[in-house]
Amino acid sequence: MKDKFLKTMTWVHLWVGLLACWIVYIVFYTGTVSFFRDEINLWNQPAIHNIQAQEQRIAAQKDQLINTISYLSQHAENAPNWRITLPEPRIPYLEFGYAKAKEPGQRRSQYINTQLDPNTMQPLAPFRETKGGAFFYQVHYQLYFLKAIPGRWVVCIASFFMLIAIVTGIIIHKRIFKDMFNFKKNKGSRAWFDAHTLSSVLALPFHLMITYTGIMTLIFMLFPYPAQSTYDNGVRDFYNDTTPKNTLTNNAKGTAPLVDITHILDQVYTKWPNADIRQVLISKPAMAASTVTVLVSSDKALRDQIPRIIFSGASGELIAKSQDELSNSKALYEALNSMHTGRFADPLLRWLFVLGGVAGCIMIASSCMLWAKRIREKNKNTPPSFGLKLVEGLNLTTIMGLPFATCGFFIANRLLDPMLAGRADKEIDAFFAAWLVIAILALLKRDTTQWRITAYLNAIACLAVPIVNAFTTEGNIISYALNKQWALFIFDALFLLSSLIFIIQSKKLRTVKSPANTAKNKRHEVSND
Amino acid sequence: MIDLFAFLLSLLAFNCFALAKNNHFKDVFNTRPSAQQRKLLLAVAWINILLSLALCVSTQGSYGTLLFFGYTNLSALIIMIFCSFLVKYIKLLSTLTLIAMIISAIVLAIN
Repeated sequence: MKDKFLKTMTWVHLWVGLLACWIVYIVFYTGTVSFFRDEINLWNQPAIHNIQAQEQRIAAQKDQLINTISYLSQHAENAPNWRITLPEPRIPYLEFGYAKAKEPGQRRSQYINTQLDPNTMQPLAPFRETKGGAFFYQVHYQLYFLKAIPGRWVVCIASFFMLIAIVTGIIIHKRIFKDMFNFKKNKGSRAWFDAHTLSSVLALPFHLMITYTGIMTLIFMLFPYPAQSTYDNGVRDFYNDTTPKNTLTNNAKGTAPLVDITHILDQVYTKWPNADIRQVLISKPAMAASTVTVLVSSDKALRDQIPRIIFSGASGELIAKSQDELSNSKALYEALNSMHTGRFADPLLRWLFVLGGVAGCIMIASSCMLWAKRIREKNKNTPPSFGLKLVEGLNLTTIMGLPFATCGFFIANRLLDPMLAGRADKEIDAFFAAWLVIAILALLKRDTTQWRITAYLNAIACLAVPIVNAFTTEGNIISYALNKQWALFIFDALFLLSSLIFIIQSKKLRTVKSPANTAKNKRHEVSND
Repeated sequence: MIDLFAFLLSLLAFNCFALAKNNHFKDVFNTRPSAQQRKLLLAVAWINILLSLALCVSTQGSYGTLLFFGYTNLSALIIMIFCSFLVKYIKLLSTLTLIAMIISAIVLAIN
């Protein structure tokens, strides 16, 4: 009975894992990269590289808001909306802008933004068009080339498969904790097995948390029925009902000047004396129905929705605000969501999340490799089946293709003309073109030589990123270190480290191929036995 | 400093968990651990890991819980690397961990 149960669990673990592993790998990889979303945005915009960190960032916010609102009052009085986004520790510039009136059929207003250096309040050099970290984030939760909702469904189903694979994995690997610290290198598929179990066990709480909370982030897409049965417009109305909204001034007619912003800010600071304001949104600024929404950082609290407070723009009267104490269900939902996105994380916790993400990538990659290796070993004397070739091809394409594509994305960011029309899409084209190169190589051959070639290609590409950056911008890895621009320094350093890892991989693969070494290894194993 | 101390508690805990296993103990001390030694190592490991959790949660609430899981991941990774590739340095690692723990505890007590 017990054996049958374990056999069933093993079968489920194997097939559920294999079917979803490549999509889950893409999701884990892009999710891990997305923990550095702001740093990627920073690297992708050389115009903001030299902004000095503000010494009194929070203290300066009041003046920044007064100045930008004064400017908008003079230059965009009749715009339907204004938006001011203040600098954060990881986003060093101030952005403010106004919305243009919507064209017929347009869903969202287009904003005309200006970016300022918060230290000097002077405009920055024009920004280059790039998706930056948002691209990886989008791929993470809805993939690409698919429409948003089908993409999210695919990711959700893959996440379900991942959760099942994790739970069945815990059940079947009985020695999971017994062999916890063991890694047997140079032992063929056994080394892949150890890599798989070790990366699984070392970050098991992270894997469970990130997979489960990932599904929870899309729970209202997966399970909209309670909202649909309660509200006329289903989930949309449900979201509106749980978010602070303007019910007071909606019906106010006519024009009215915007109240002095200091009157509103004083109320914010009375409520939250150390408020770190993230954003101020002003709708219908010259109308009696205007509102001023102030969004304040929730710091390290496990809340995904930023606390907000809404005032009447005409009178400065408080209209609505986020709940200070969340209901149990909302607190749970917010906590699960925020645990997944990790937006509240300080650098230490963010790096620990990244460590868990890397362990997840290793866990998935080693499982794909393990499956192919074991089938190869089992059927040594028969030609490989189509299924095995497919798995090996997808392994090579996914595991070696994604880093290469990422390098292509960043190199394109530097080499494309900054003023090129549609350059953000061209960066993404470069990403997929680079990935296609590895896919074609995988289509041709999938043996050790091909892995070695792709490892060399990745090593060169990773090395090229900081080099191309040094030749196309004013800074380089050395100047970043000297000027204490640590985010940029670590970005370049990570690519150099990746390059080194790929070089080591290619060297190792050469020794694997060498018959002399194989013989030597065999002799060594015999003497050990 | 409190972050460092919580991490060191976790690192020492995983060090003890590893040494409580026959094979790793033998790799380091060239002999098998006695039943009493195993029990002692396991007790120290559990006390340390629970202290680390308590410290994280009491100082940083739910955020601390996430930090704690991060520390356990990192500690387990470090101990795995030492057990698999740097066995001869495990004694040194243990000593340095203890020294760092004492120093950080003193600094915490002073502050």
